[in-house]
Amino acid sequence: MMRIPYPMHVALQSIWREKWINLLTIFAVAASLLMVTLMYFALFNLDRFAGKLPERFSIAAYLKDGITPQETDELIARVKKQEYVAEVKFISREQALADLKKAIADIGSVLDGMQENPLSSSLEIRLKQEYVSASSVKKIAAELKSLPGVDSIYEGEKIAETIAHVKHSVMVAGIALFSILSFGVVFVIYSSVKNLFYRKRDDIEILKLLGATAWFIRWPFLMEGGVIGLFGGVFGLLGAYACFFLLTTQLSAELPILRLLEFPHAIVVALPLIGLAFGIFGAIVAIGRIRFS
Amino acid sequence: MIEFKNVAKYYDGQSVLRNINLKIEKGELVYITGHSGAGKSTFLKLIYAAEMPEEGEITIGDFHFPTMKEREIPELRRSVGIVFQDFKLKNDLTVFENVALPLQIRGMPEKEVKSTVHEALRKVHLRHKVDAFPKTLSGGEQQRVVIARAVVANPLVVLADEPTGNLDEEIAQDIMAIFRDIHLQGTTVVIATHFQDMFRRSGRRVIRLDAGNIIGEEVG
Repeated sequence: MMRIPYPMHVALQSIWREKWINLLTIFAVAASLLMVTLMYFALFNLDRFAGKLPERFSIAAYLKDGITPQETDELIARVKKQEYVAEVKFISREQALADLKKAIADIGSVLDGMQENPLSSSLEIRLKQEYVSASSVKKIAAELKSLPGVDSIYEGEKIAETIAHVKHSVMVAGIALFSILSFGVVFVIYSSVKNLFYRKRDDIEILKLLGATAWFIRWPFLMEGGVIGLFGGVFGLLGAYACFFLLTTQLSAELPILRLLEFPHAIVVALPLIGLAFGIFGAIVAIGRIRFS
Repeated sequence: MIEFKNVAKYYDGQSVLRNINLKIEKGELVYITGHSGAGKSTFLKLIYAAEMPEEGEITIGDFHFPTMKEREIPELRRSVGIVFQDFKLKNDLTVFENVALPLQIRGMPEKEVKSTVHEALRKVHLRHKVDAFPKTLSGGEQQRVVIARAVVANPLVVLADEPTGNLDEEIAQDIMAIFRDIHLQGTTVVIATHFQDMFRRSGRRVIRLDAGNIIGEEVG
């Protein structure tokens, strides 16, 4: 006896009867979505690291030897007035040496024979977050260097530039890969549903002759496409989580930075939904317009 | 109910039906007869819009060619029950599921579907085959399933294309009796057949077709 509505009955029956082909299609969809997810995963973490950078980012302005305390105070006051400056900290030559000794305590003896302090006093200038970008850091560094009493600048511009560059490259690659793989996912589902639609053309003809509307005919195919996409998304998600687990547990022993990786939890819901949407879209394209005359 | 006015149909430039003028009233039982290729099947196909006329006008209840839109065709077909010569049963569905299809297409609740299908199968004496698949049934039984499917939703008109074509005499008589019962319940029935025995002494209208023309009308 028929207990479930016809479209669902037909969709479930078809999914079960073609289980091996459907499983392969699901894996193909899952593999494509996994690649997109891994790209997003990389981008997400890179963005997270880059987001934290402005909090710690500072420019070091090394002062000229022989600069007087009064000149130093004037310089500090002038730097503080700049709109891009959040905080200025003066580090004297003595403090710099003490910090260095502390930092290299294990090999501190190499400094013992030194007659004279070779370090310069400096200003540690922390920038406001909105000014931490490769282009503005470069501009600010040039501006600071022109101030009287400043000898040289260590701007860390390269770090900001590299992170921005990597982030941009990953984003471009991510968008390109996402577009290609999205097309791939839709095409895989399109082919699967088109093939099914072709094999069921006699059944579809019967339905048309019995007075079925286009949507009555479409529903089972949309459900089948949706189920394939949804499970593709779920398997893709499991694959992504397996990769995350491998990176943060197994491989982090050799590369401790991997412990900092975070799993983007939004994809737990998003990926199956994206799979579902692609599945339904692929099926809609495959079925096309249903004609009655 | 059904009206053809100067209807003509061509396939690849060849005329299949010519200048057909015909009126079938509500509740009539009409036989369309003629040799193979006379245009009987095409005549029926024009009624359920599987074919469109090249010339003329056709009215089926509230539907009117050529002004009818393509999207109205499913609605027209829901008011017509069709008994196909080649059955057109879905072999992956049981007898119950095949007969239930027109009701599900109309969105009938499942509870009502069950009782309505059982009633339709009772009319064609097939209640005991409710869970069988079409391939396991004889030709006569399959034909009765098709008839049950055609009448299950109480259509305005039932069309039958050579309904006894592949059946032996005794089963053919049973099938004809079922059509007479359907007609007695007030449904308009149009049967296309080339078997004279089907309508002989029936006391019903018989329309003769030959090479796409109506060549005569009589009472059988």
